[in-house]
Amino acid sequence: MLDPAHGGTDPGARGTGGIRESEIVLDFAIQVRRALELQGFQVVQTRQGNEDPSFDDRSATANAQRGAVFVTLHISSTGMQGTARVYVNSDLPQVADSNGLIPWDRAQAPFLGLSKTFGDLVQGFLAQRFKGSPGAAQTASVRQLRTTAAPAIAVEISSVTVEDRADLDHMAPGVADAIARGAAAFKPSYVVPTVTGGLR
Amino acid sequence: MTPRWKFMLASGFIFALLAAAIYFPILRRRVKRAAKLQQQSEEQARRELAQPITINPGDPRVKAKLFWASDTMDSTLVPVTVELPLSKDPVLRSKQVLNTLLAGPVDAEFRTLPPDALLLAFYVLPDGTAIADFSEALATSVPSGIVSEQLAVNSITRTLEANVPQVQRLKILIHGQEVETLAGHLDLTGTFVVNTKPASPPPASAALTPDKTPGKLAQTERKP
Repeated sequence: MLDPAHGGTDPGARGTGGIRESEIVLDFAIQVRRALELQGFQVVQTRQGNEDPSFDDRSATANAQRGAVFVTLHISSTGMQGTARVYVNSDLPQVADSNGLIPWDRAQAPFLGLSKTFGDLVQGFLAQRFKGSPGAAQTASVRQLRTTAAPAIAVEISSVTVEDRADLDHMAPGVADAIARGAAAFKPSYVVPTVTGGLR
Repeated sequence: MTPRWKFMLASGFIFALLAAAIYFPILRRRVKRAAKLQQQSEEQARRELAQPITINPGDPRVKAKLFWASDTMDSTLVPVTVELPLSKDPVLRSKQVLNTLLAGPVDAEFRTLPPDALLLAFYVLPDGTAIADFSEALATSVPSGIVSEQLAVNSITRTLEANVPQVQRLKILIHGQEVETLAGHLDLTGTFVVNTKPASPPPASAALTPDKTPGKLAQTERKP
């Protein structure tokens, strides 16, 4: 699952040169998709154009898939230009009711360990490509990740403050390659956690 | 029209053009300065109205630790020790440190929170959950992005952790309302962990515990 963040009336981060996060991530998604397909993955996107599905709609698209991984793409407003960071969701208490159903708003809880493994792999490949990027995935309370029932990561590229949009465009092939290689490396260790009752 | 009049008219026109060329940039600068001053005084008035500043000269002066951005580009926080008169009451103390945090460091480059953001209200519930209500500027003026939004929230939680041990968790409201995210990324629907230790009276100079991770989203409290 590929999620180009924002869209529609929500442009996301905006640079002084008119760069909009929502537009750049859509262009990045095209390259990431191509790199993943070359690795043999089937790719579904949460948006194809300038729409803005809600957080829950994006999660719903992801949660309808079986054996998926979820990558949400972002461009930051700050940070060292030319670096990339991977985030996994902060700890969420695992709560399931007597039927084994997991609350929708904590759907990520059973997948946090897998998300961390996947995130560390992708971050490792990004660090090789983009000097100054961290060596391991970091944790943050990212809203989009919380309701996603799959190994899920947010990839944030720095930043919309570049003077020339081409500086960001040049990063796209490296980001796409790192995500695709990370997904391929993660695949053998991906065993879908047993969730007896599914989501509620 | 005689050549003499034509010459005088042309000279007058050129003089007016030159005068305008010199005067207009000065006028533009003055207008900009006036607008800035007006903006500053509006902000000052808002601050004065919203925050009858909670500094009481009778409170003991203690070394408070405030967390602002580091001077590196790695988006981390550094503690800065500031001597402040701080109340022993956790609510007043929290307001005092958060208002100082909002006022910002000497060097504006290390700010973590927007200069126009205000703390509108602050409460502490008996279970140690604090509720901080900020003005809309916190959400609209903070740079959008995971890293910048997390830096903003972490600077609040770590400042509270270092100075107000009674606060265990923090719920952030924007203009009295629960919002889904701070500026499109960071989840504000739950509470953030501040202190994991049981509350004890505030120390004269609070110390950090390095193995804790304040700022993590704690259990969300949502309707079924």
